[in-house]
Amino acid sequence: MNDWEEGSGKGEGKEDPPVLPASRFPLPWVTSRAFTPRNLLRHPVRTALALAGIMVTTAMLLDMVLLAGGIERSFEQLLLGRGYQLRISPKGTLPFDTEATIPRAGAIRDLIAADPEVAAVGPMLGGAVYARRGDSLTTLFGYGIDPAAQAIYQVESGADLDAADTTGLLLSEPAARLLGATIGDTVTLAGGLDPQMALAGVERRLVVRGMVRWLYDYRGQPSVGTLLPVMQSLAHARAEDRVSVFVVRVHRDQQAEAVTTRLRQQLPALEVNSVTDLVIRFRERLVYFRQLSYILGVISLGVTVLLVATLMTITVNERLGEIATLRAIGIARGTIVRGVMLEGALLTAIGGALGVGLGVITARFLDRILTSFPGLPAAISFFVPEPLSLLLAAVVLLLTGILAGAYPALVAARAPIAATLRTEAT
Amino acid sequence: MQGAVLMLACVLGQQGVPALEPPSRRAAVPTSIALERRLADRLGVVVGDTLDLGLDPGRLDGRAVVTAIYEPAADPSIITRRELYLRLHLPDLAALLGAPDQVDRFGVGVRPGVRPEEAARELNRVAFGYRAFPSAEIANESSQTFRVVSRFHQAIAIISVVASAVFLLCIMLLKVEERRRDAAVMRFTGISRLTIFTALLLEALLVAALGSVLGVLLALGASAVTNLYYQRFFDTTLVFSVVTGATLRFSVALSLGLGVVAGSLAAWRLVRTSPVMLWGRG
Amino acid sequence: MNGEVVHALRGVSLTVRQGDYAAIVGPSGCGKSTLLQLLGGIDTPSRGSVALGGIALHSLSDRALTRLRLTRLGFVFQRFHLLPVLTARENVELPMAEAGAGREERRARALELLDYVGLAARADHRATQLSGGEMQRVAIARALANRPALILADEPTGELDAATGRGILDLFRRLSHDGVTLLVVTHDERLAAEAGRVIHMLDGVVVGDTAR
Repeated sequence: MNDWEEGSGKGEGKEDPPVLPASRFPLPWVTSRAFTPRNLLRHPVRTALALAGIMVTTAMLLDMVLLAGGIERSFEQLLLGRGYQLRISPKGTLPFDTEATIPRAGAIRDLIAADPEVAAVGPMLGGAVYARRGDSLTTLFGYGIDPAAQAIYQVESGADLDAADTTGLLLSEPAARLLGATIGDTVTLAGGLDPQMALAGVERRLVVRGMVRWLYDYRGQPSVGTLLPVMQSLAHARAEDRVSVFVVRVHRDQQAEAVTTRLRQQLPALEVNSVTDLVIRFRERLVYFRQLSYILGVISLGVTVLLVATLMTITVNERLGEIATLRAIGIARGTIVRGVMLEGALLTAIGGALGVGLGVITARFLDRILTSFPGLPAAISFFVPEPLSLLLAAVVLLLTGILAGAYPALVAARAPIAATLRTEAT
Repeated sequence: MQGAVLMLACVLGQQGVPALEPPSRRAAVPTSIALERRLADRLGVVVGDTLDLGLDPGRLDGRAVVTAIYEPAADPSIITRRELYLRLHLPDLAALLGAPDQVDRFGVGVRPGVRPEEAARELNRVAFGYRAFPSAEIANESSQTFRVVSRFHQAIAIISVVASAVFLLCIMLLKVEERRRDAAVMRFTGISRLTIFTALLLEALLVAALGSVLGVLLALGASAVTNLYYQRFFDTTLVFSVVTGATLRFSVALSLGLGVVAGSLAAWRLVRTSPVMLWGRG
Repeated sequence: MNGEVVHALRGVSLTVRQGDYAAIVGPSGCGKSTLLQLLGGIDTPSRGSVALGGIALHSLSDRALTRLRLTRLGFVFQRFHLLPVLTARENVELPMAEAGAGREERRARALELLDYVGLAARADHRATQLSGGEMQRVAIARALANRPALILADEPTGELDAATGRGILDLFRRLSHDGVTLLVVTHDERLAAEAGRVIHMLDGVVVGDTAR
């Protein structure tokens, strides 16, 4: 049994004495790992509650990470969805933000199209139009478009408008329901209403060619689309060739900013914005949500730290005797500290994983609330995942859990062994 | 100034405007305008200064004298838009727009005894090209945005309360379990379960009360900081955070209630365990 | 304690040789456990020094001292101090894992030691599922895990009934016979009677040191 070596001389100074058996590389992680999961099961109710707490705070943290910049990403995806990188609108306005319009659209279109980097220019006019149903008029939102260069709808059934189809009409599903119309039906649109004479200045009979999804419509918005000249005549904008906005596609995405700069110089009376510019402007309007997400995210992390730190502190205090025993039988401080930190990390990891599931559910719930903002495009979402942010949040959360247990573990591991054993024995 | 003029055009809703009068027909008497304070600061003008106005940045034909600078009523619906406003007399604006007989809306006052809803219905019956709405309906529609924000805040509050409840329960459980040996000794020496339970409950109540007080102070401080920050950020007098008596009462009641419930559950769990088990020998 | 200086030991000088089976006896509070803790390096003397195999413990860093306890000493406590979440085998394996032994090696040795103390059949039971006597046997097996130069036992039968204590007694006798160096603090006269050397203490002083 006893194959130890005799001592040979006294060790001087603080160094490993030579008489110790040659030690293999220690495996403290084995020691630490061996009892960490089981320690969590020692007090199942306590562990379950801690996991529940971490789960809820993780869900909140996840939602705030999704919210921080979520709507901007969603908006950017919407803007770039059809591949048009620039928007040109009346000075001082954002597209369709006001009823202001741009005159001499044809000349401006030609000027824009002359830029060698420009691949397509799509003028659009938007405004209120009225559909006649018997003696009554139903208010709709009308889009005048160029089907060859548009960024505003996707055909869902039926056909798109031809370039020369001045009698064609596109309907959204809410508009179709409102008018009781379907593909092939004839709809009479009126414009230029004169309240005194109770007359419509312009009326056009149009045939429904297709059902479309208008990308920027809010939920339930009844919208219709015609060729641009038709809508201009309905809006009394034909004489001055007015449009609400131009969408511009450049050949190469990298050239978008350069083209924006050039067009700004050429068109000083208009508002020229790249998608990046629009996202920044949009961000300014929704700065509240970004800031709220940061604040609540930090609070969530803080609560997690408090919870894990309190739990680990009390857990370590309960096991002071155990820890002193381990130290007495030769288990290193580092092993003990690692074990406690591992416990904190495991708790955080499990609670965090559960929290992700809960967070996805609560994000959907919160998104349903926020996307009910009046006038917000139905395609927009407030909670959009961004992989890098999610990864960062996960790493921060895990580190939080690890470090929260570090301090109490260090304190316990440094406690005097004999005194602790005596105290624990009484 | 250019920006301000174009904002004028945009804000007031330009529609199908005919060509502006050439410079030779500029009004001899400048119109009087009132600027909101932020616009005046941005332009660096004071009462008495003269501005050029127009609908096109390249053609500022109109002249106007600043006769007033006003602080607009804080409107949360436009606060993030950073738009700047000025006011003109209606005929002056109509002349500027070249649409002397055109307005966007009328405000209508009804005679005493007439219900606005009835008046609106009557007007809509004969309407063509316009619609009448009772002001209450407009207010209701325009407050939709704030209702959404309010619901969002409520949802966040509910999640926070749930998280706090779980956290509180966990902490109370831990704190009470720390006292397991004390409880065992008390039971060994004949102290009744009820006495121990009551003692632990009183402790929990005290912790909850102290925590509530600290929480209230924290909330008041955070509210003040929030208002200070956002009023500076948006350059507005709008109040963003209000801690009312009702909010305080509700929060304190909830906090105390949760603390008592959590403490009770933890204490009950402790007292129903046998003293031998508590001591660690069972 | 409470601001007063308590002299737990006064002028104690002691040498333990390889193969000794020594018992330290004396009334409660005479300093027996303190002496044992000093010899084990888990407490530090106010004056004087402790050497193990010629190595002065005070000259070692905490890390080296811990390592020394792991590889040269074995502790048996009155209250067993096993880790309740581990099985008997895992408790015995713990010091070996810390010392860097491979999985198969430490498993085999743990089973060998448990067999030695008569608990091979209980190897996979949690510590909380064992009786007091069984827990103390496991603690002894743990103390033997890294083949220590010296076993220090503090009241090993203090928490056990007479019959169970006899079992521990038999085990210690066997260990001594097998060449293990034992230093035991005890109130148990039977245990003291088994020892080859009895060190009497009173009020922090060694008052007798008799060899049988």
